[in-house]
Amino acid sequence: MAMRRSVATLIRNFRNVVPRSDLFLHSHATSFGFKEVREEEKSKLVGNVFSSVASSYDIMNDLMSGGLHRLWKHRLVSKLHPFPGMKHLDVAGGTGDVAFRILESIKSVRYRDVQGVLDGFGETQIYVCDINPNMLSVGKNRAIEKGLGDEQSLVWIEGDAEALSFNDLSMDGYTIAFGIRNVTHMEKALAEAYRVLKRGGRFLCLELSHVEAPLFKQIYDYYSFAVIPAMGELVAGDRESYQYLVESIRRFPNQETFAQMMADTGFEKVEYENLVGGVVAIHSGVKL
Amino acid sequence: MVRGSTVLHLKGAGGVSKALLDIIVCPLSKQPLRLCQETQYLISDEIGVSFPVVDGIPCLVPKDGRILDEKDNMRLDKSTKEPITDNNMNKG
Repeated sequence: MAMRRSVATLIRNFRNVVPRSDLFLHSHATSFGFKEVREEEKSKLVGNVFSSVASSYDIMNDLMSGGLHRLWKHRLVSKLHPFPGMKHLDVAGGTGDVAFRILESIKSVRYRDVQGVLDGFGETQIYVCDINPNMLSVGKNRAIEKGLGDEQSLVWIEGDAEALSFNDLSMDGYTIAFGIRNVTHMEKALAEAYRVLKRGGRFLCLELSHVEAPLFKQIYDYYSFAVIPAMGELVAGDRESYQYLVESIRRFPNQETFAQMMADTGFEKVEYENLVGGVVAIHSGVKL
Repeated sequence: MVRGSTVLHLKGAGGVSKALLDIIVCPLSKQPLRLCQETQYLISDEIGVSFPVVDGIPCLVPKDGRILDEKDNMRLDKSTKEPITDNNMNKG
């Protein structure tokens, strides 16, 4: 009860402090969780968060989601329909979770159905792009542990979602899992995704989203603001980064708004699927 | 099929393959990048910026780019289009 009151107070105070015009922006000043920061600062602050959490990132994901994040990523990859020979870009995918799943999915398809028919498709290439070198190192090491260290299909690149270093019309697929809310200018990231996709290419975004159902929302808010930062402190030794995490989720546009942003960028057949009542949503769109 | 794959994955020393060079571009100018064999930096000639490759990972974040100065041995000689080295630096 006390927690619910203090969370409500937190949100009410925040609304009073922030001028209304700022709620519509994704430029000029920007949000770092519930704090307002200058744009130039956001990427540095986010960078510090992920350098700090990199080594315990995967453990914390398991703990915070009760292992559910694995199911969510599995769902993301199955919606992608990966195929042998595809060129795929996974953005903000530093530790490699999504990339490994895509690779496994493709390999299972190859041996089951299409042996011998692959010559025309070229080599599968999965590019893992992340702005944070620590996250990429963790990913590379995980690949080695899984026996994928020499895997030619996996390519690790340090890059910025807002200024991708790939050619126009080069990718069959683009995924971003739990990454887009950390980007300073989401519209730029969406525009870059659109640019690099081939015609017919699919965009998929897995992100923590908004819960509406009244009772569940209160339970979820309590879990977010009371439990998660405490877990962060215990396991990762870093309460503040996880406080940032739960605040950034609340600041992220809701499902409909984000879908509209995708449509404004030019994606078609924009749809979203809520998982766990909206705790997580998978948005998808096609470049036609 | 196996022969084809080998061609695609010929790597420059340091791990940047030819296939990768074909698909990546400068994040700022979106023009193709050139790999400088000596230093293993990726060069964006149009804007005169170099990007490092660390542990086999190309670092193509815009702020990682370093502006090449006139005497930089990674620049292309404007007349011969060859990299400037100690031997030909004074001729260009």
